[in-house]
Amino acid sequence: IPPLTYKVVAECSVSKARAGLMTLRHSEVRTPVFMPVGTQGTLKGVLPDQLIELDCQILLGNTYHLGLRPGIETLQLAGGLHNFMGWSRAILTDSGGFQMVSLLQLAEIDERGVNFRSPFDNSECMLTPEHSMQIQNAIGADIMMQLDDVVKTTTTGPRVEEAMERTIRWVDRCLSAHARNDDQSLFPIVQGGLEVPLRERCVSALMERQVRGFAVGGLSGGESKHDFWRMVDVCTNHLPKEKPRYLMGVGFAADLVVCVALGIDMFDCVFPTRTARFGCALVDSGQLNLKQQRYKHDTQPIDENCECNTCKRYTRSYLHHIATNESVSCSLLSIHNVAYQLRLMRSMREAIQRDQFPQFVRDFMARHFVGKPIPTWIREALTAVNIDLPEDAVQHAKESEMRTEKSR
Amino acid sequence: MKFVLKSISKNSGRLGQLRIKESNELATPLLMQTTKGGSIPYLTADTFEMVSNEQQLLQLTLSTMDQMAESLAQWNRPLSEYVGLPGHNTMLLLRDPCEATPAGGNDRDVVPLFTRRGKESLTATQYMDMVAKFAPDVYQGLCDADTNPESTKKRVQKSVDRTERFMDECYALHAKEQRLANSTLLAPIVGGYNTFARTQSIKHARAQPATSYGGYILEGFHTNGLAATALQATQLLPIVEHCLQQLEDDKPRLMPGAFTPLLTLELIRRGVDVFDTSYAYCAAVNYKALTFNYTKGAEQQTAFLDLTDEAIKEQFTPMLNGCSCLACRKHTRAYIHHLYKTHELLGPILLMIHNLHHYLGFFAVIRSSIADDELSQLIDLLRLQTAGVNMDYRIEANSKVVSKAGLGKGFIAAAAV
Ligand SMILES: [Zn+2]
Ligand SMILES: [Zn+2]
Repeated sequence: IPPLTYKVVAECSVSKARAGLMTLRHSEVRTPVFMPVGTQGTLKGVLPDQLIELDCQILLGNTYHLGLRPGIETLQLAGGLHNFMGWSRAILTDSGGFQMVSLLQLAEIDERGVNFRSPFDNSECMLTPEHSMQIQNAIGADIMMQLDDVVKTTTTGPRVEEAMERTIRWVDRCLSAHARNDDQSLFPIVQGGLEVPLRERCVSALMERQVRGFAVGGLSGGESKHDFWRMVDVCTNHLPKEKPRYLMGVGFAADLVVCVALGIDMFDCVFPTRTARFGCALVDSGQLNLKQQRYKHDTQPIDENCECNTCKRYTRSYLHHIATNESVSCSLLSIHNVAYQLRLMRSMREAIQRDQFPQFVRDFMARHFVGKPIPTWIREALTAVNIDLPEDAVQHAKESEMRTEKSR
Repeated sequence: MKFVLKSISKNSGRLGQLRIKESNELATPLLMQTTKGGSIPYLTADTFEMVSNEQQLLQLTLSTMDQMAESLAQWNRPLSEYVGLPGHNTMLLLRDPCEATPAGGNDRDVVPLFTRRGKESLTATQYMDMVAKFAPDVYQGLCDADTNPESTKKRVQKSVDRTERFMDECYALHAKEQRLANSTLLAPIVGGYNTFARTQSIKHARAQPATSYGGYILEGFHTNGLAATALQATQLLPIVEHCLQQLEDDKPRLMPGAFTPLLTLELIRRGVDVFDTSYAYCAAVNYKALTFNYTKGAEQQTAFLDLTDEAIKEQFTPMLNGCSCLACRKHTRAYIHHLYKTHELLGPILLMIHNLHHYLGFFAVIRSSIADDELSQLIDLLRLQTAGVNMDYRIEANSKVVSKAGLGKGFIAAAAV
């Protein structure tokens, strides 16, 4: 049995959106999917059983953190991360390179790998593509990422091309160092900055390799949204339809909806759990900052349509009082926020299967930008995949409301 | 609140039933669930239900919930529903037994309330106003309990005199306040370690009409937090005994605080009925899993498993072998040690799950031991777990700092130049 199979279950007849089924060693994953980030082998304050209750099918782990703690010897002795953390479903790990470059100021990249100073004894170290594979093989995630040459998204000039070319060279080193190709699937990462020709070249080079899926990297790092969606669009135009596509580090609700329309299948982001720690709860219209005085006496749940255990039991008023004060609030809001992300993905998938995705997108945007103009980049991105949004969001919200009134 | 004493025997404890709301009965000796900000510390309502599905008495504290008073004044459903734990019973206390209460701030007319925001002062009227907003099932009378084994005679006497004055007001206001019509008031007994002072405090309570309060809360033996785990039995037990002898049998006696399991048993033997889970909490936040053995014939145990210990880094076994709690069924010592090192929130969550499970099991065994007249055997079992050595159940603060040496060398070795 192959460690990863992917099947397109339904395609939107208008946009590039698709619903798929990815079968991994540890679980089936229905796409489009959001993967909550469990950096150190745990999702902030949430038990694995609670994640299963939310129908979370795949979690993300960070190779850099896990390599430091508990370290590969312990992970090997435990029989991999699944056993170590008591999570029976699928896991995806990153390569460690991005974290290293963003967390360690002294990290530098050359042809051999990423140079960095050990946080252990400050000695000089090197994370090579081979080492990244070694660690990820010890972690044992269902899907692993190649080490890529990461440059800031705002970088321009020859460095971007160099990084793209190096990423391609490194994927070959990763593939030959990958020791568990029968259990774990290695995804290469499309790089190429914000330049269409580089992205195209990178995609076609990577497609020549024997891989089971692709990641789109180097985005969501402060570039303009205008560039962002165009790069995603270019990649999905050229990537093979029969393999899953993972857009790294994207997780804001509106971005998820747009990128699903552009044909992305997998997403991850720390935002839902990070914002929970600051007392923020995700809803269709954005987020509620529960610390605000307006929620002090508000006895509604965060979202009355949400079926998570937080919304079943707790009022905004109570959460207002414990948010950022009692650590249980972090668990309660993380549960709701992850539930929100997973529900959003599920409803997109269902809309695709009913072939009503364009209408879903219009309704979502109306709810999301209620009373505010829809950003131009979203209109343009959606127009590129034949989904036109009505001129005035406020007007549309009213229409959508009337529609639901009538259907009642 | 109704209290029915089922059995009483000298030197082997009392068994009783506490009925707070109509439909349900809580068996005593009872373990109240300590809360912070109204929640079981670290546990969401659904997680707590994985620990226990039984009806609980929630110990809510004003020092962690005072900021909710305004909102609760507008809340017309039960207090338990507001904190996400509907169906459970609520008891409102002034101080959080989990944290050391700072000394001082007491005055002739006010009691200090130490909250997250600092110190506030409450007169009896202000206090009763707050309590009315909460409308708990049971609550304690206002008292000056700022005494411990070291308190001077003068401090002790002040605590008694002031408590009398506060309570005169509390009794009067309790009778008048509509929102407290269905709440039961507990009479505080203070007086430090002084027998005369304790007697005076008891006399004041007993001088009230018997229906004006529904039970006793014994305060002023410690000032909360880890200090309660270090109390000396030889010092505490005689004074508690002195108090209990003067209390009528048909009212329940509560003693909040993180007493060690052994001291808890001795207090139960002498007739204390209700305790709380602050000991389990204090252990959990200091990364200690409770492992003492309360089952006859089981293997020898230590009081705790220290999850910060490097030695368990690669022990892929449960915190406590044979434990049926969720944490022990699904997670290993090595994993929880990792959560400690990475400061992950799941660490204290798993420790709370285990410690509460363990402590609730302990209380079930206590009740059956009393029923079988075997309480003294249980005390012996807890005292001498490891052949011939007296067990030390004190909890010391975990001051270990996770060092860089705790980082996995493997990763660095893999990446070394
Ligand atoms: Zn919710
Ligand atoms: Zn356990």
